[in-house]
Amino acid sequence: MKGMRLLLFGCLAVLLIAAGCTTTQQATGDVGILDAKTSGAMPTLLATKQIDGYIAWQPYVEVAPVAHIGKVITYSGSLPPDDRWKNHPCCVLAASTDLMDRNPALVDAMGAVTILATRYVTDHPAESADIVADWLAGKGNFTYGNITVSSVEVLNRAFPTVKFVNEPSDAWMNGQVEFIYALRELKTLTGKLANTSDAESKAILFDTGPYNRANAMIGTKKFTAPPAEANPIGVGYLLSDHDASLFVAVKKWQYFNDTYGIALKPRDPTASKPDVADLLVNGKKVAEVKLIPGSAGPQLMQLAATNAIQFAFVGNPPTITAIDKGTSVKILMALNTEGSGVVVVTDSPATDWNSFVQWAKERSAAGNPIKMAVPGKGSIQDIMLRYALEESGLSIKEVQV
Amino acid sequence: MKLAIRDLSKVFVTGTGEKVPALEGINLMVEDEEFLCILGPSGCGKTTLLRIIAGLDTPTTGSIQVDGEALSAPSRRIAMIFQEYSLFPWRTVLDNVAFGLEVQGKGREDRLGVAREYLDLVGLASFEKNLPYELSGGMRQRVAVARALATEPRALLMDEPFGALDAQTRNLMQTELQEIWRKTRKTILFVTHSVDEAVFLADRIVVLTERPGRIREIVPVTKCAHPRDRTCRDFVEIRRHVLDLISGGSAD
Amino acid sequence: MRRPLGIILPILLLIVWEIAAQSINNQFILPRLETVVPVLLAPTVDILGTGSLVHNALVSLERVGAGFLVALAIAIPLGVGMGWSRRLDAFMDTTIQLFRPIPPLAWGPLAIAWFSVGINSMVFIIFLGAFFPVLLNTIDGVRSIKRTWVEVAQTLGASERQVLAKVVLPGALPTIWTGLRVGFGIAWMCVIAAEWLPGTTSGLGYLTLYAYNFGQMHYIIAGMITIGIIGIAFDFLFRSVEDRWFCWRGLER
Repeated sequence: MKGMRLLLFGCLAVLLIAAGCTTTQQATGDVGILDAKTSGAMPTLLATKQIDGYIAWQPYVEVAPVAHIGKVITYSGSLPPDDRWKNHPCCVLAASTDLMDRNPALVDAMGAVTILATRYVTDHPAESADIVADWLAGKGNFTYGNITVSSVEVLNRAFPTVKFVNEPSDAWMNGQVEFIYALRELKTLTGKLANTSDAESKAILFDTGPYNRANAMIGTKKFTAPPAEANPIGVGYLLSDHDASLFVAVKKWQYFNDTYGIALKPRDPTASKPDVADLLVNGKKVAEVKLIPGSAGPQLMQLAATNAIQFAFVGNPPTITAIDKGTSVKILMALNTEGSGVVVVTDSPATDWNSFVQWAKERSAAGNPIKMAVPGKGSIQDIMLRYALEESGLSIKEVQV
Repeated sequence: MKLAIRDLSKVFVTGTGEKVPALEGINLMVEDEEFLCILGPSGCGKTTLLRIIAGLDTPTTGSIQVDGEALSAPSRRIAMIFQEYSLFPWRTVLDNVAFGLEVQGKGREDRLGVAREYLDLVGLASFEKNLPYELSGGMRQRVAVARALATEPRALLMDEPFGALDAQTRNLMQTELQEIWRKTRKTILFVTHSVDEAVFLADRIVVLTERPGRIREIVPVTKCAHPRDRTCRDFVEIRRHVLDLISGGSAD
Repeated sequence: MRRPLGIILPILLLIVWEIAAQSINNQFILPRLETVVPVLLAPTVDILGTGSLVHNALVSLERVGAGFLVALAIAIPLGVGMGWSRRLDAFMDTTIQLFRPIPPLAWGPLAIAWFSVGINSMVFIIFLGAFFPVLLNTIDGVRSIKRTWVEVAQTLGASERQVLAKVVLPGALPTIWTGLRVGFGIAWMCVIAAEWLPGTTSGLGYLTLYAYNFGQMHYIIAGMITIGIIGIAFDFLFRSVEDRWFCWRGLER
């Protein structure tokens, strides 16, 4: 009798354990997410097989197919859930509230330069791609093994995937609010934006005054000359074609000066990547501008917090996070929407998002889940990828390399 | 230069507070132009006494007077020659000899001229551009003597200057020193633990006891005329007497 | 550089490199020699819009020079003081030992916040790198002065100032010089890493990071080789001076 009971218990125990095992084994699939801190490192990680794919901002998406180390399976605007990420906000122009209070006309002028440049980019994509190639790589060649491509070619491929718009429309602002929800889920927002309503969030984040005034000035072609700034102004930017409007503003300064009387004139016009420029309004210098590149948004926001820069051409989640933590900046307008993409290794069976999901599930079931890199925890790309993966029934594991 | 040392004693205090007496009740008069040797076993305080006279150490009790004035710090009137590391290795021989004059603020031409004279006096004129490491031990000490003499002090203090040299060089150096002394007629206080050396060089020998050093006896060596012959009878006798003083010290 | 024997290993390494690069066949892991060598042979050609190897090398050297000089200006007098005066040493020593282990790069964010982006923050970091070797070697050099040298000077009538200037400083100089050599080497390493901080737009360190962002490994390796060559050149310079001026060191008696 006792023996039978023991046997029964034994069987039950085995059954329970077996059940437990199967429940811990995901029925859907795991995907590893790796924080590569910046997009630039990703092609190397992919080529050395440390990751199976990545999501990055341009032009690092195009680098993969051009170097024959990977293929693009989708661009960010098409990520699931359907239509959620269409026209998703990406980079923004942020300004320090201190400068906005002290010299609002200067901020308006900077806004005007940005808007004018963005329009130029939209009207002259080929020339703008060229300018970006010059700025990012001196129009030099990229060598990948036996293949050499010109940076101009890479940028030309990348440009059409980026939408250059400035208007801080309602739809755009709502898109931003989406990111706030996502960041709250990631427990990144613990400060000012932790519990605010949508309206409150918008009030904290945005100030569309400069955009509206700049637009008005452009309409009348009359620009108010701001008082001159005694100290240099810092403008931080990312090494991406998302910031094309800044590069075009500087390189085409002559055109803007002649046509509108407002320009960002580089001290050294021959340099590929000028680091100092003068902001001219109505032909007169109103500020010395230091152009400071950063490798990623959080880094630029750190510079903003220590007052090393007063303007930032930067991604929105790092800006939102910084504002949440107390950095005194406001978002003035958009710089672009979309412009990121998902890349996987060349020999992956995936050709689009659905086959990608299939592949991820197969790999996970085989005990070898795929690893995807993102350019920073809480970045746009990171958030979009996570949402898309979860929507497709995959779960996420943080991975260290 | 006359030196009057009265009731001098020196007690060292170690890091743990222990008191170590080095010298006790030293009373000594040094005559002008005299060659005085201070002799004693190791640890008897002879170097300490010399350093106090040089002004590098201070006595615990007692006083020193130089030509009637009290002494408290190193002075240009008294130059010292050490046993080792006496020359500045980064300076040429000539610049070493000229050092004292340089410190006094003498102009370049002047001091090098004087330096050459004294370098010639010690017989090393052709080595003026050499660095000390290129010289033998004996030559270095000669340069040290030249340097000390160049500032024309009234007295020379020498702390076992030939102690690091081999026997032959040592004898040569002793003879040379005698020559220099005859020529320059300085008061010399010479510390040694070699009886031979003391008897060869000194007008008088101050024999110290073991620690704490007290004056055992002051032995005059005037019986032997200069230049001294190490084999003459008087020399041998004085030598024996001094040796007795040294070896019989423990019975005091 | 000293003996022909020293050339053998680098040449062997070059051969191993080429063989390995061919067999690995992945330029992201190890680029082939023939992609790197042309870059080195054309040091005045612009690289990815950041300037040529020569230009970037000069920029980095300028920064190192500035930081190094500041380090010397502070470390040598302080070191002489600390080596000479027990009291000053007791006063300063704990603080120095507290700061010493902190890697200069860890000061990066603070440096940017205090001295703003650009050459000032970099000079600060380089200063920190060079400061400690120079300081510690100066203290050591001063302490290794033979007491007899000082006493000789004193008995010849030198004032304390004269003793410091004519005996202590020249006597300590060989050890101080070693400190300079080591300090410069560290400063050179620091400048490369300091150029990875945000806001830099030129320099060899910046070039290597920039090339990495685009997966242009051959530029990275060319940059690294340049960094190494400059490092060894300066080491050689320092040693030559040592050989000429300080041949007396270690032979003093």
